[in-house]
Amino acid sequence: MDLKQIKQIIDLMKRSELTEFAVEEEGFKLKIRRGHNGLPQVSSSGGTLPPYVIAADAGGAASPAPAAAGAAAAVGGGGEKEEPGITYIKAPMVGTFYRAASPESPPFVEVAAKVQENSVVCIIEAMKIMNEIQAEVKGAVIEILVENGQPVEYGQRLFKVKQG
Amino acid sequence: MIQKILIANRGEIALRIVRACRELGIKTLAVYSEADVQSLHVQLADEAICIGGPKSSDSYLRAERIISAAEIADVDAIHPGYGFLSENSKFAEQCESCNIKFIGPKAQSIKIMGDKAVARDTVRKAGVPTVPGSDGPVDSEAAAVKIARKIGYPIIIKAVSGGGGRGMRIAHNDVSFAKEYHIARAEAEKAFNDSSVYIEKYIQAPRHIEFQILADSHGKVIHLGERDCSVQRRHQKLIEESPSPFLTSDLRKRMGKAAIRAAESAEYESAGTIEFIVDSHGEYYFIEMNTRIQVEHPVTEEVTGIDLVKEQIRIAAGEKLNFDQKDVEFRGHAIECRINAEDPTRNFTPSPGTIGLYYAPGGHGVRVDSHIYSGYTIPPYYDSLISKLIAHGDNRKMALERMYRALSEYLVRGIKTTIPLHKAILSDPVFIAGKATTAYLEEFLSRTPPDLF
Repeated sequence: MDLKQIKQIIDLMKRSELTEFAVEEEGFKLKIRRGHNGLPQVSSSGGTLPPYVIAADAGGAASPAPAAAGAAAAVGGGGEKEEPGITYIKAPMVGTFYRAASPESPPFVEVAAKVQENSVVCIIEAMKIMNEIQAEVKGAVIEILVENGQPVEYGQRLFKVKQG
Repeated sequence: MIQKILIANRGEIALRIVRACRELGIKTLAVYSEADVQSLHVQLADEAICIGGPKSSDSYLRAERIISAAEIADVDAIHPGYGFLSENSKFAEQCESCNIKFIGPKAQSIKIMGDKAVARDTVRKAGVPTVPGSDGPVDSEAAAVKIARKIGYPIIIKAVSGGGGRGMRIAHNDVSFAKEYHIARAEAEKAFNDSSVYIEKYIQAPRHIEFQILADSHGKVIHLGERDCSVQRRHQKLIEESPSPFLTSDLRKRMGKAAIRAAESAEYESAGTIEFIVDSHGEYYFIEMNTRIQVEHPVTEEVTGIDLVKEQIRIAAGEKLNFDQKDVEFRGHAIECRINAEDPTRNFTPSPGTIGLYYAPGGHGVRVDSHIYSGYTIPPYYDSLISKLIAHGDNRKMALERMYRALSEYLVRGIKTTIPLHKAILSDPVFIAGKATTAYLEEFLSRTPPDLF
């Protein structure tokens, strides 16, 4: 997908009543949603989307643009309504959730903690192996959704994160 | 004591296992993909854990996630169903090493019967007839041609790691053999990551007749009769029935004994099936063993009255089979139609989608094994089997008529199904006369205009 095609999509959205558009290709995801002031908000991940595209066409509603590279979690959802700027860190495996590396260690994150994409946020233990789980988003943890020692399934929401 | 079972499968067989567990008072844990959230068995199981995304490779084939789910939910045993990991000896071993009972045979038995060449070799030593062929894989064209000439054409070339009708090519003479040999090896490498092939005499238009085996962990092995599965399209079974309209009681006795010897040669436990092909003269040959419960198991259940899934669970719990070969009775005739979400008028194009009005047939002697319901959306990620319709009657004629009656009542709106095709086959004189061989369906389709179904 190149710059020209993205501009065409944004134009199409402006001229129509479309409120949301998403596309996924090998290594690249793009999602455009009509923002509160009626202007499209663009978020993308994986690809090399030049920053000026987002700034220019988002017409001032620039909110998640710089976080675009890490906004992968914005696409898809748990079936519940998505709030703008909010994403969830989900379990990529089945196992037991732990807040810390060991019972004596401090938790990896608390509420209000700032995380980067490669920040370790928790452990999921599966078959006696402790797997460190990375945030894969950039933002601040606003809610911890599971308890220490709780079994979790694939795709289960672990942390609520405000992006940015 | 098995108190909780994890069902490592989906669709109709997962529902079948839930039902057996309910009747045995055993708790169930369904593991499911994100595409199967609305699946009936997931709703009916006592517990459910999501193990991955829609694709099988990201969910039902992820052994480590399944075992992880088994551990966090503290299950005693895993039932693998059919397909997926049911014949994966590594998975069986992982269960064993994690102290979770794998409901099926030992990993070693799966290994022996999973390698088609080793399987042939093993059963031949037990005095079971096998199709004349190479004694193991053939590594060079020269060696292969030599054996081919000795056996006599036509010859079929099969992938050692193949199965389910995949990875096979036929040659009728030396010239085509050379070409087919190399194509077969290339295809095997691509499909199964193993280019090894073996060759066999190609038996023209045989009947596919398989015997159901039940074996406990105390050395008892019995058979529960045969199923004739000759009606196939591209090696996928469409209709199965028991008893076979072709077998005489003498041939049945001999084949039953051979099936038991084959299972014993692999030290088999649990339910399994020995597949034979039978030519028009009544010569029978071992083809392969399926070391799992099979799709068409209900046919045997209706004729014998024995619940095969419950027996699997009891055997896994270490119980002895509480009946002998002489106690097995065969009553009447049973037939099963596999109903797929496919359009038979458009070359069997898959027809996933949402089911509108759904009405399943019923009445005396009619059984429906299906996980679908009104409003259910068939996911496009898995196979197209949506229902198994089974009819039982005092004799074959009654069973066929009852099946036709049941097919006529069956309503599945919103998607295309193969119900009309089954009705057409059930009305066909060749099938009614019991003369169908594995060549039947192609021949039937070639003389039946698609708009007749």
